[in-house]
Amino acid sequence: MMFLALREIRFSKTRYVLIVTIMLLVSFLVLFVTGLANGLGNATSSAVRNMSADRFIVQKDSDDRFARSALHAEQIDQARAVAGAEGAEPLGVQMTTVTKRDSESKIDIALFGVPAGGWLMPETAEGSRLTASETGQVLADRDLAESGVAVGDTIVDGATGLEWTVVGFTENQSYSHMPAVWMNEADWAAYRSELMAARGGEADPAYNAIALRVSDAQAERLNSTLPDAEVITKSQAISAIPGHKAEQSSLLMMIAFLYVISAFVLAVFFYVITIQKTSQFGILKAIGARTRYLAGSVIAQVLVLSFGSLAIGVALVLAMKAMLPASMPFALSAGTVLSSCGLFLAVALIGGLASVVKVARTDALDAIGRAGA
Amino acid sequence: MNTSLTTESKHTSRRSSGASQSGSSVSTGLARPADIKLRLNEVSHAYGDGESELTVLDGLSCTVRAGELVAVVGPSGSGKSTFLSIAGALLTPSRGEAEVGGRNLAGLNPQKLADLRLHEIGFIFQGANLLPYLRVEEQLRFVAKLGHADKRQAVRRAEELLERLGLTSRRRHYPDKLSGGERQRVAVARALMNDPSVILADEPTASLDADRGRDVTRLLAERVKAEGKAGVIVTHDERILPYCDRVLRLEGGRLREG
Ligand SMILES: Nc1ncnc2c1ncn2[C@@H]1O[C@H](COP(=O)(O)OP(=O)(O)OP(=O)(O)O)[C@@H](O)[C@H]1O
Ligand SMILES: [Mg+2]
Repeated sequence: MMFLALREIRFSKTRYVLIVTIMLLVSFLVLFVTGLANGLGNATSSAVRNMSADRFIVQKDSDDRFARSALHAEQIDQARAVAGAEGAEPLGVQMTTVTKRDSESKIDIALFGVPAGGWLMPETAEGSRLTASETGQVLADRDLAESGVAVGDTIVDGATGLEWTVVGFTENQSYSHMPAVWMNEADWAAYRSELMAARGGEADPAYNAIALRVSDAQAERLNSTLPDAEVITKSQAISAIPGHKAEQSSLLMMIAFLYVISAFVLAVFFYVITIQKTSQFGILKAIGARTRYLAGSVIAQVLVLSFGSLAIGVALVLAMKAMLPASMPFALSAGTVLSSCGLFLAVALIGGLASVVKVARTDALDAIGRAGA
Repeated sequence: MNTSLTTESKHTSRRSSGASQSGSSVSTGLARPADIKLRLNEVSHAYGDGESELTVLDGLSCTVRAGELVAVVGPSGSGKSTFLSIAGALLTPSRGEAEVGGRNLAGLNPQKLADLRLHEIGFIFQGANLLPYLRVEEQLRFVAKLGHADKRQAVRRAEELLERLGLTSRRRHYPDKLSGGERQRVAVARALMNDPSVILADEPTASLDADRGRDVTRLLAERVKAEGKAGVIVTHDERILPYCDRVLRLEGGRLREG
């Protein structure tokens, strides 16, 4: 089947180079926008996505948003009673603005207060870990380094005036486009009371959410026993992060359209070519080629062209990725590339279907008696 | 003469088992039944549905033997192409039966018919109808490939045919670089490539001038004789009739000698 497919491509180079170019651009765009969507998704949610929790408890009517949710120490004890001490950890989230000491420029960050030795605390990539006993220390996402903060520097909170020393960096921990900064429970408590005092505070709700590692049954029980609180899944929590859903859905829409467009372009291209070649197919059938063979040739062509344009498209995207500035949110794993390519191939095959139908309908009889020059 | 003999023996050895049985049963006599490569028996064909039926063929019978080139002439619309389509397993007649290379076409499914066309029938169309994107030798190798022929044997066969048809120097050309006569000669070679029992040509010289038309027909007649094929040429071209062994006239839905 490759015999005809390849030789025809060799003969009509210009025609096929054009279609490869178009498909290449479309597949490049698909991969690029996918990378962007992943990158933006990471920028808004990686701190939560990378938590080893599977569910969260948030306050009822908080729209699943950590920032709107407030839980009391009592509720944390109740949750621990059901989930076990290992199954539930309190989580404080607060967005704030800090400055590096002796510097004026402001940096937006997301503060996370979690137990120092617990499973919510991310791995330290550089510098040292946080401990439960030492206070005034934080672990920051490496993005903070881009704002000129290094390990050992001190940052000052704009709202409370509290000072923390960055003792280490983590990787891939950002929240709503802000670098996440992690502190232990003692610092979190100090920060909250300071914050409430500054605001002329009322009774202080201790944490925003409880991260869970529980079974379905336990989740069910927590949902029904805890007053004024509900259990949500990780993906619910992620899509409630400010900006996440809006960004992702518009990008996904673009990606979906790109797939539709590529299916359509391919379908039209191959259909037009196939119609031009109807008499050839009639002849081939007359001299004894089976429909299956001819349909296979068309499909082989679709596959060759798609593979070719995908290979170039992937190469271009990888080159692009290497050249992009680090601040550009762009993430493309090998798995994503593979599944995008798979989807693209499937879409291309769907595009070739109309031509296959046309080939199947061509009548061998047309070859005799009616043959034009 | 030598080559024609070797071709003939290879030809026999490559036949399917059913046909070679009938081939081996033939040993003596001139009008051996297995020499009959093409037989149509009381074939009628009508186009259209029950209401407006057009009967084109009406009780047509004919036989063509190995090594015989038969010309079919007749006025336009008399049903020559219809006759050829039936003989070529492209069209199933309304009534009657057709036999190609000793195989009855009745009741074969489309795949079987396609295989039979591939191995037993060589078509030559009015235009050469070559694939524009294949070089001359690839045109031949392609039909061999369709028939799952042994590759080395196919290369040898293609070389031989191109040589016989005077195309050796053109074998790496694309059809658009060939003259009309050369193209039609390639079509002849393609029709012969899979060693069919029957060669069917529908006005093969219509798009050629007189000399080219004669050349092509002469070469075709030569091959038909040398390789023991049954050849049928539908034509309007009186000048090629001398190369044919018999001339049949299609009139009133039947073929008559003359
Ligand atoms: N598919 C078809 N449906 C209906 N009528 C047809 C069909 N094919 C052919 N005919 C009719 O059958 C008759 C015989 O057609 P055919 O093509 O066999 O003639 P022909 O002898 O080859 O003519 P020509 O010399 O002009 O090529 C014509 O009247 C034609 O209109
Ligand atoms: Mg005709």
